[in-house]
Amino acid sequence: MSTVAPLLRLDGLTKCYGAVTALDGLTIDIPPGRVGVVGANGAGKTTLFRIVLGLARPTAGSVEVHGASVAVDPIAVRSRLGYMPEHECLPLDQTAADVVATLGEIGGLPARAARQRASDVLDLVGLDEARFRPISGFSTGMRQRAKLAQALVGDPQLVLLDEPTAGLDPAGRDEMLTLVARLGTFGISVLMSTHLLDDVQQVCDHVLMIDGGRLVVAGPTDSLLERTGVVTVDVGDPHDAEHLRAELTRRGMTAEIVDDVVEVAVNGDEALDRVRDTVAELGLPLYRLGSRLTSLDEVFLRQATSR
Amino acid sequence: MTTTATAGAVYDRGYRPYDGPRGGRNAARYALYRASIRRALGIRRSWRQKVAPFVLLGIVTIPAIITVGVAYITRDQVNRQFQIITYREYVGVSSALLLFVALTAPDIICPDRRQHVLPLLFARPLTGIDYMLAKVGALFSILFLFSFLPQVVLFVGQALVSDSALDYTLDNLDVLWMVPVAVAVLAFYYASIGIAIASLCNRRIVAGASLIGLFLVSSVTSAVLVGDIEGEATGSAAALLDILVIPLYLRDVIFLGVQSSDSQLRGVENGGFYAYVVYVVVVATAFGVLLRRYRWTER
Repeated sequence: MSTVAPLLRLDGLTKCYGAVTALDGLTIDIPPGRVGVVGANGAGKTTLFRIVLGLARPTAGSVEVHGASVAVDPIAVRSRLGYMPEHECLPLDQTAADVVATLGEIGGLPARAARQRASDVLDLVGLDEARFRPISGFSTGMRQRAKLAQALVGDPQLVLLDEPTAGLDPAGRDEMLTLVARLGTFGISVLMSTHLLDDVQQVCDHVLMIDGGRLVVAGPTDSLLERTGVVTVDVGDPHDAEHLRAELTRRGMTAEIVDDVVEVAVNGDEALDRVRDTVAELGLPLYRLGSRLTSLDEVFLRQATSR
Repeated sequence: MTTTATAGAVYDRGYRPYDGPRGGRNAARYALYRASIRRALGIRRSWRQKVAPFVLLGIVTIPAIITVGVAYITRDQVNRQFQIITYREYVGVSSALLLFVALTAPDIICPDRRQHVLPLLFARPLTGIDYMLAKVGALFSILFLFSFLPQVVLFVGQALVSDSALDYTLDNLDVLWMVPVAVAVLAFYYASIGIAIASLCNRRIVAGASLIGLFLVSSVTSAVLVGDIEGEATGSAAALLDILVIPLYLRDVIFLGVQSSDSQLRGVENGGFYAYVVYVVVVATAFGVLLRRYRWTER
């Protein structure tokens, strides 16, 4: 997947629960950075996280985190990991500051340092003013932030985020994704599981798609997004967009309006020049002209169905 | 025109990495132990959570205060060779202590499971065994403290109101090891059982009721089998079925070397040894339950 030292190395990783195979021979090197683990519900994402944390033993195969084998020394591996589960997991009758500080201490920090870092990370996730309130009074978004804070309090090398945007409204989701995107700038690698491909497309450098416990496709996010032969033309005003679409159609091109931007099928640079010239001749402002890429949804569906 | 900024400024402090010392399993276990003690004593919780532990401490200290008070009032009387309560008798099982175990053991175990906190704990350098030891250790420490402190009050008070504190201490030197050992035996027993029973339940009230129910059933069963032995020289081995009072038989061995005259095991051959065996079996069973309950974290 990359030439840099892998963050995670999965080698023939298999996990069976009785007759059910949750993971089926996953072999891949995952580089540092923000990595999205994508798959439908039941694809094996949470099982993969549990194995990385040493909370479940693989039926076969092995996992290494930063070169350390999870099977050999799970305690050492866990001491440098942060984990944000998908489900509710915070003690409701304690304040966020207490919970995060206590979990920091259990993570190995001295008491004073744990309280200081709890304050810092709660500030970082936007809970500075709410940190002395009981978690039972928190909204879903605040609880998700508190969960992220407890994952960060030990200054991990890698955080495992299990569906971090689950249950959030659009604004909360954007804020959470912004926080996740910032983690990369702090030198913290992220392994984020989700079934929302848009989330991965928005914040992750690399993608690991699994389906039914098997690897579907993996690679840098950009490399998975293919050109579609369609360019999007954003001229700002919807009326101007309609005017442009009509003119392009009159000139024999295939154009349609999608989300207030014009999408035009092009088959070469000459067609692209004609689109540009048309915009100029109509005297319209040109805010954006670019190739439309396939979405990760399309990549996932195509790869999953072709297996 | 030059303006001076007078309004507050917002600073993004960003993220500061931590490069200080880190502990391993021992630190994790100790941190969980301290957190459990804080929770049990209601520290950093609402005042309602502080009521039970400190009311209990008050209740169990009352006999010591009364004994010392009576000794002080009667200090000038010639024949004052009486004690309201002895050190041996003070190592006992009060209803308040049982109620405290039934309230506290579930409180430091059940929410972790019910509120799904366990994955957060076990995602850190902590094993199921560490978790178990931290929880049992926390309850043991509190029970030991709450049983030992009144004894300290009793001893210090008696020494101070005696004619000579030094002579009193020298005369009662054996108490200085008997009391902590007997109290530790008692506290460890109830901590093990309390945590084991609580680990089987998700709801605190169910765990508390189960604990009291277990003690009641074993006491009633034992009482029925033992029957009326009032005034008889020999008790009954069936008294060993009453798991509530097993530590008291060991207490008698520690203080007296034999079973006391008010023990239901009095006169039973090797009664103290059998009590010791039952103690070990009960504690081992409790730890077996805990190991089974938390070993999933090692899979």
